[in-house]
Amino acid sequence: MTLTREEAKQRTAILKQVRDQHQETVDRTRARLKDQQTVRRQICQQLRGGPKIVPEIAEATGLPAHEVLWHITAMKKYDLVVEVGQCGEYYQYAMAKETES
Amino acid sequence: MTVKNVHVDVLVVGGGIAGMQSALDLADQGYRVALVEKEPSIGGKMIMLSKVFPTLDCCSCITTPKMSAVAHHDNIELLTYCDVQAIGDRPGGGFVIDVVQKPRYVDIDTCTGCRQCEYVCPIDLPSQFDRELGAVRAIRVPFSTAVPQKAFLDIDNCILCGKCQQACPVEAIDFAQQPETFTVEAGAIILATGFELTPAGAKAEYGAGELLNVVDALVMERLLAPTGPYGHVLRPSDGKEPDSIAYVQCAGSRDKTLGVEYCSRVCCMYAIKQAMLLSGALPLADITIYYMDIRTFGKGHEQFYQNAKAMGIEFVKGKVARITEDEDKNPVVRVELIEDGSKVVERAHDLVVLSVGMLPGYNPKSLYGVPVADDGFAAIPAPNIRPSVTPKPGIFVTGAAAGPMDIVDSIVLAGAAAAEAAAYLEEVRTPSPQRAAIEEAVHA
Amino acid sequence: MPEPRSNGDVRIGVYVCYCGGNISDVVDCEQVAAALRTLPNVVVARTDMSMCSDAGQALIETDILEHGINRVVVGACAPSLHERTFRNTIARAGLDAGLNPYLYHHVGLREQVSWVHQGNPQKATEKAIRLMMAGIAKARMLEPLEPTVLDAEQHALVIGGGVAGLRAAWDIARRGIRVTLIEKSPFLGGHMAQLETTFPAGEDARAALGDLIDQVVAHPLVTVHTRAELTGVSGYVGNFQAQITQQSRGVSQGFTHFAEAAEVCPVEVPDEFDYGMTTRKAIYRAYPGAYPDLPAIDWAHCDACGKCLSVNGTGLDLENKPATFDLNVGAFVVATGFRPYEPRRGEYGYDEHPEVITLPQMIRLLALAGDGPDLLWNGRTVKNVALIHCVGSREIPGVHEPQPDGQVNDYCSRVCCTATLHLATELRERYPHLNIFDIHEDIRTYGRGHEDIYTEAAANRVGFLRFHGDERPDVLPAPDGDSSPLLVRVKDYLTWGEELDVPADLVVLATGILPSPVDDIISLLKISAGTDRFLLEVHPKLQPVETAVPGVVLAGTAQGPMNIQEASAAASAAAAKVAVLLGQGSVKLEPFVARVNHALCDGSGECVAVCAYEDAITLQTVSDNGQTAQKAVVTPANCVGCGVCVSACPNHAIDVQGWTLAQYDAMLDALAAPLPVLESAT
Repeated sequence: MTLTREEAKQRTAILKQVRDQHQETVDRTRARLKDQQTVRRQICQQLRGGPKIVPEIAEATGLPAHEVLWHITAMKKYDLVVEVGQCGEYYQYAMAKETES
Repeated sequence: MTVKNVHVDVLVVGGGIAGMQSALDLADQGYRVALVEKEPSIGGKMIMLSKVFPTLDCCSCITTPKMSAVAHHDNIELLTYCDVQAIGDRPGGGFVIDVVQKPRYVDIDTCTGCRQCEYVCPIDLPSQFDRELGAVRAIRVPFSTAVPQKAFLDIDNCILCGKCQQACPVEAIDFAQQPETFTVEAGAIILATGFELTPAGAKAEYGAGELLNVVDALVMERLLAPTGPYGHVLRPSDGKEPDSIAYVQCAGSRDKTLGVEYCSRVCCMYAIKQAMLLSGALPLADITIYYMDIRTFGKGHEQFYQNAKAMGIEFVKGKVARITEDEDKNPVVRVELIEDGSKVVERAHDLVVLSVGMLPGYNPKSLYGVPVADDGFAAIPAPNIRPSVTPKPGIFVTGAAAGPMDIVDSIVLAGAAAAEAAAYLEEVRTPSPQRAAIEEAVHA
Repeated sequence: MPEPRSNGDVRIGVYVCYCGGNISDVVDCEQVAAALRTLPNVVVARTDMSMCSDAGQALIETDILEHGINRVVVGACAPSLHERTFRNTIARAGLDAGLNPYLYHHVGLREQVSWVHQGNPQKATEKAIRLMMAGIAKARMLEPLEPTVLDAEQHALVIGGGVAGLRAAWDIARRGIRVTLIEKSPFLGGHMAQLETTFPAGEDARAALGDLIDQVVAHPLVTVHTRAELTGVSGYVGNFQAQITQQSRGVSQGFTHFAEAAEVCPVEVPDEFDYGMTTRKAIYRAYPGAYPDLPAIDWAHCDACGKCLSVNGTGLDLENKPATFDLNVGAFVVATGFRPYEPRRGEYGYDEHPEVITLPQMIRLLALAGDGPDLLWNGRTVKNVALIHCVGSREIPGVHEPQPDGQVNDYCSRVCCTATLHLATELRERYPHLNIFDIHEDIRTYGRGHEDIYTEAAANRVGFLRFHGDERPDVLPAPDGDSSPLLVRVKDYLTWGEELDVPADLVVLATGILPSPVDDIISLLKISAGTDRFLLEVHPKLQPVETAVPGVVLAGTAQGPMNIQEASAAASAAAAKVAVLLGQGSVKLEPFVARVNHALCDGSGECVAVCAYEDAITLQTVSDNGQTAQKAVVTPANCVGCGVCVSACPNHAIDVQGWTLAQYDAMLDALAAPLPVLESAT
């Protein structure tokens, strides 16, 4: 859909205004997002090397296993990671096809 | 969004199973009902469950049709993501209620629930619906079976990047939305404000919520649910499939140290149900239930308990004194085996489930003028004969707001509250039938 | 085998539900949908985690509006659960699309496939495909139907005058609907009247009950008949004819000499109000203050000697003249209540040792005991009381002897634990020196305020012993020289399974709850009881107080063990359902009834001969093209759609709407047809 220049401008203005109102939570959430991106990069790097189980990723990255599990779960929900099989008592995860490249 | 002023016969507060049932029982009689829910979707705690005892029906098979019926009922005005702010008496009887519509930042009439906004949102947050085991985005449809099936934005966890606005195919996102107050006029009110669970940190002896593999039973419901975070039963510390699972009963009920002296009524049955479901999901796993008394008192419940025993689920009468963890984060349960000479032993499991209790979720005193009893649940002056009637005329209570109860008991009491509210309306509307009869006799 | 044929403009939407895993854990739902997609007339075949959710229903609505779907087949749970849910979905979408809600077929993939074929997913999936193919074959032939709408009699009949029946009657009346309450015994109040105080608050039971009775009988929309029983039923929801038979009371208004009449009455029988621990005369009142405020004659025992007449005959008539009358009612509330379990002779020494009594008897005993410092029983001062839980409840098949009817009472009676401890507290208060032993399997003080009663009992020096369900205690005569006549031998798991002998001057058996014997009402109303003998609801969560018979609802302990609070709540919920049914003044009946094709009907009347329902199908003179002939005519309101007439008709002139012979043929052909070949796995 296309917006007129005027509409686009108005949108940006509203967004900025709301952002100013919520400066504190926006800053906090931005910091959270940054952490999330750092962790995700580490996890994805491991998964690009082939399917892995949570303890393997945790050991390789030094991240706590429960955090790895949480991020894997999140990425799985939004189709970035897929479960590919089972290895003993653990499930194996891999990057989803379209995000692999 | 337009400011609406709503005139109804009854306001139902709370869109869990009890509130929905009261609303339906009144609306089906022809009364106009407004159902107000603080969350963006109705469904309450019940919609989070996996399967329900003793029939083992899939929980959403029972809940979602009721949610749908509420949403589509001609006589029900559904007010989600709204808070009741103030209540006044209406001249001539009834109530005037100020309600605040919290901003969803999504136009509810335009949104189609396509979730494209959710997919482009960059931030993942712990999902309250999945008890923090899974993730949600800052903008989202609350859960897969939510009613209404519409997105809302959690502005407190949003970076306001605007990607959702760009992605929305129907221009539903509106960052300029503000809270809006409107009034509801109602002849009677039914409180169905539900319950809370024993907080994770309540019991220091059980790890105060710090042990990753000691979870509460609602977490296990999510693990068992087909829509659950992992899609399997895995333990949260490392994603291992547990071989040995233990339940600790009365973890938050019948416990003077927590000030919760009552029995929460549902924990025995939900633990047994979960144990049975786990036996199906993990056929090789050992499942133990540590209990003081098994209270399977409802219709069909004792038979359910006996079936669980026959399936090989181990019931151990014992008081769990402490839970710690070993170096592999396996929870270690220190338990006094009452039937084995009160011997104290330590047993390691892969995962421990605390059968947490039902606590009062909401105190209706200040807003509704309904006092609570010593246990914190709504006071009911004549519990035997009038179990849904509060001390405040015109205000009724149902579900777990009236004390711990299971789904069946909540649904039945919801019908009772609907009957009381209907009778109250009729008696207010028309002079009391006794008086009508006297008048009739006088005029004849 | 004929290939399924396409049927013109039929556009079928097919939906396969995962049922939250209940189906998809066994059946490959995606494969089912893929197979069905290939069939003629199938326009879409979709799956969903839960089709009955709003999102699932929205799929169907969208397909109707956007893909022109005009028949819907859903494979999901049993039709009893959600067939109506999906009909409503179609009706809703149909408002815009003009679609009739009966253009719907529901296939049970849970009860008929996934739950019964868990070990064989492959075959289960094939069976699911076949059942769905049959459903689709039927859907091709579905036709629009209309429910029958009939006026409803705004009048309910409540059966039973205990607390549940009273509470239901009061709520229905307050809602503005007329109520008739019938009670089999001569007095209202039921078992609650036999209690002194109620838990959890220690409220005066008869005072609370009396208030309720006053409200009910004073309500102008309520009519009460005591000594009245349901003896006949015909009709259907909204328009039942109830036949009521009422025994005479023998005593009418104006009779004022009860005390004197009872004095001279020579007939003395055990008083059921005190569970046989006292006696009463053949002219009696259940208890002082009982409603109605008139005694009654006990016809089973009165020998009409006339001594009472000699005191003052005004208002007395010693001949029972049962009267029968009919009522037109729209709905029934079954509140027939419970009876306490009566232990067998020898069960824990009951009926062998006079010191063994039941909990209901003990409650009456305390009511009768007077204010003395000691509790007396059988001429002795009671020093040791043993309370034994779970008598007649929680029995284990294979371990405990079945009841005379072959059933094992394997359920928990719900009220006995708290009632027993409530009693223990009263015993402690009144007789501080008494030794009280509570012998249980589990203590189930689950209700609000109940745990406090347990805690209080424990603090009040009640001694607790615990047995295992398969090692119940024994009641034995004490050896000579013991100060108490009995002992209870119990393997106590609170002291490591040690066998203990508890001395007892009185053993109180916490007997469970059995439903009142109501076989006659069950057959009159065509409702059913479960294996536990209690009346059966449709579904504990979806329709918790409704029976499978429209217009018949359940209230209180007829349905299962409940305490007073729970019985009140259930009764009010039942009243709400009655108000839903009758409040609008009309009822809708499903259109699944017989219809006759008059072109084929030759008026043989064979259908009329086999029909079990009054006036459901009759021979009438009808005119067709100027010719008159005798033809079978169906009265939809009286027809239940059983189909017996269909099989009896020599000319195949009768069909049950929604389930026609042609539809069955098509379904059978589809069941036998080859499975569709999948192009590739999805």
